[in-house]
Amino acid sequence: MHIINNMIKYEEDKLSNGLRVVVNRAERTQMAAVNMLYCVGARNENPARTGFAHLFEHLMFRGTKAVPDFDAPLHKASGENNAFTNNDYTDYYITLPKENVETALWLEADRMTGLDITKAKLEAEKRVVIEEYNQRYLNQPYGDMWLLLRELAYRVHPYRWPTIGLTPEHVAGATLEEVRAFYARYYTPANAILSVAVDMEPERVFELAQKWFGDEPGGALGEVSGFVRPVDEIPVEPLQTEARRLEVERDVPATAITIAFPMGARTSRNYYACDILSDVLAGGASARMYQSLVKEKRLFSSVNAYITGDLDPGMFVMTGHLLPEVSVEAGEEALWGELKRLCEGPVGGYELEKVKNKFEAETIFGELNVMNKAMNLGFYAMLGDLPLVNREVEIYRSFEAQELMAEAVATFRPERSSTLIYKRRSENGE
Amino acid sequence: MGSEKLQPPRPLPPKAVELPQVEKVVLANGLPVYLIVTQGQEVARVSFVWAAGSAIGLTGGFASAAGKPFVASSTLNLLAEGSENLTAHEIAERLDFVGSYFDVSMDRDYALMTFCSLEKFFEPTLEMMAEIVLKPAFPSEEVEIYTKKRMERLAMERSKPATKAREAFSAALFGAGHPYGISSPEAEYMKVTREDVAEFYKRFYGADNCFVVCSLGAGTRKEALLELLGRMPVGSREEAGGEFPAAVSERRRMVTIEGAVQSAIRVGRILFPRQHPDFVGMQVVATILGGYFGSRLVQNLREQRGYTYGVMAAMVNLKHAGYLAIATEVAAEATNDATEQIFNEMERLKTEPVGDDELENVKRSMLGEVARILDGPFGIVDVVIENIQVGRNADGGCGYAINYLNEFIKEVETITPARIIELARKYLDREKFTTVVVGKA
Repeated sequence: MHIINNMIKYEEDKLSNGLRVVVNRAERTQMAAVNMLYCVGARNENPARTGFAHLFEHLMFRGTKAVPDFDAPLHKASGENNAFTNNDYTDYYITLPKENVETALWLEADRMTGLDITKAKLEAEKRVVIEEYNQRYLNQPYGDMWLLLRELAYRVHPYRWPTIGLTPEHVAGATLEEVRAFYARYYTPANAILSVAVDMEPERVFELAQKWFGDEPGGALGEVSGFVRPVDEIPVEPLQTEARRLEVERDVPATAITIAFPMGARTSRNYYACDILSDVLAGGASARMYQSLVKEKRLFSSVNAYITGDLDPGMFVMTGHLLPEVSVEAGEEALWGELKRLCEGPVGGYELEKVKNKFEAETIFGELNVMNKAMNLGFYAMLGDLPLVNREVEIYRSFEAQELMAEAVATFRPERSSTLIYKRRSENGE
Repeated sequence: MGSEKLQPPRPLPPKAVELPQVEKVVLANGLPVYLIVTQGQEVARVSFVWAAGSAIGLTGGFASAAGKPFVASSTLNLLAEGSENLTAHEIAERLDFVGSYFDVSMDRDYALMTFCSLEKFFEPTLEMMAEIVLKPAFPSEEVEIYTKKRMERLAMERSKPATKAREAFSAALFGAGHPYGISSPEAEYMKVTREDVAEFYKRFYGADNCFVVCSLGAGTRKEALLELLGRMPVGSREEAGGEFPAAVSERRRMVTIEGAVQSAIRVGRILFPRQHPDFVGMQVVATILGGYFGSRLVQNLREQRGYTYGVMAAMVNLKHAGYLAIATEVAAEATNDATEQIFNEMERLKTEPVGDDELENVKRSMLGEVARILDGPFGIVDVVIENIQVGRNADGGCGYAINYLNEFIKEVETITPARIIELARKYLDREKFTTVVVGKA
């Protein structure tokens, strides 16, 4: 079966101050999307001040000298916006009617240099972020699972902490000096990628980018020049040689078992192999883990397998919630059984074709609106391989069963595993 | 250009939304089908809406299902778990193979099932649609696996503060025994049988209790779809007997979680469903209060006081009722003050006129939201579904969806500060509100 590839068409440009600009000519839509990606994430943080990149993302909404309220002009332009921070980068995105696309460019240019953070604003935002910490990680069943898993799986690489930070105290201790230094180092045109999806001539968008982000006198970025891309030294995670295991007890309704393995970096061949393997295991209701572990053997109420998709070597994760009468040993054994199947026998032709088709369909479904297009372009530009945005389906298609099996053998090794048993505290208080 | 500072661009008001044509076809079995066909579209979406939500069977009149919770949701979730011709696994395989998928969702009134596929795989998707929607077999073994699994998942859901708050709020707002307020113990799943589900399907999943909305590319063979839909049998639904029960609201309800670092706060009041002439006006009021990032509650509780990561307010529409709801999760020690601030902000709406600038921001962001929903080929389906659910399809013509949206837009565009005050005074009386707190005692 062959599906014709749906491509995102784009044009790219680079301003003299180093800002990269990518434009997709979106058709048949009234909406425009403007995506601003800064190449800074939790990976760039000081281990004693984790959670800072994310806190800083919040501060980017706290106003500048010229625009004290970031959201008001955007609402007036019928726009909506948000942002996220992950371990590798920070992404700000705006959607608005295409007539108002310039408003988004103005606002992004303005906060790239004009941010005005006072002590009071910083203190208020720290409280908001600590409440986010509480809401998502502390006041939630299984909320600290990710924190525990990261600490177990990484020893030195900054992926050992989540973007929210190792502890709320790191957020609470952030200072204005740190805010200023971080802003000066990472929030520069040379460290940013502007991507826009809009029904407009790309040339016109480049002109507007030049107008708002260029270094002419009078432009939002002023006369500041000589921006350089900061380079941080990120410690390399040493090869894991012994199985790791952590068991904790919590007040949760069901025991969760998670097994993680180190995998390849985002552009490595192993990354794609692991993505395919995780789909063979858990990509939809017909996939192996659901059919075998939930339906046939009835060991788990839910199962999943996925990859973290990080820039640097990330994690392949396999997880499930046990049914009450099933022992941890039986659950673990069953999860390993599925990994063994991948290592000992090739994935069937039909099964592999199914997973490949699914990647292709998901790519098309994922490109239906302007926001996803702009965001994708920013991401691949950050990877340093923009054409990859249209080449990935082909890469998935290129895998044969034998290669996948070899990648499975290389990845799913007991001595590379990190197992987290998140146990339900027994009711009678034993 | 000189050294003059660039002038900020002047934002333009949103243009009139351009809605595609919606074609309505009523099939011989009485099933209404709404079709939106777009040139060059490579994907297809088909949504089934049955008036078979979780409150059905609890409202009286439907004898056998009455008093048996989870039958409605089990029916919807088991549709794809085996048909007369194929096993659950075979159905899943065939959909996954072509990258098609379906989603289900259920509220108190409706069951919704949506299929999405690439246009070129529409036919194999249709084949599975026929198995799922027209010929479900509900094998006993699947029913057993499903109910057990769901019982576990519900227990897991219910360990989340937000779920506890949602359930406590519904019960406090409508009454613990009311069809819109009730939550049943997880163990009730164990009582659901194959026969219950099969009977529920027979009664409520017929063409007389359903409508279908589709967004298709121009090349999609819609005849094949219509032929399939024409085979949907007419159900054996009996008319619901009796009145919809009246709600009995409590003023306050507290659910204690030992050692919780946050409290989930829900504040609300039953008002009216969407058909009411004040509904859209109250949507604007809710937006000013907590419906967008610049809203007063976000400014107050988040930006100024740092009590919370988020807060929102909205008008919620059900078939027989509508209510205003405010929801937030705040630092445990801020619980009382945050609750006070919520009421203070309501009070302010009753006394001070909304500034022109603020109202303009609210209007434009609400209208922007409409344009955003309509970006991409699938959003229009949600808009049409909502219109039909609120009874805007009476004329049966093609223009109704556009009419309804235009009415909404016109009302939002023309609302005045005086009208906001009038609505706030009419409906934001503190004494009539219900407050639910889930957290540390």
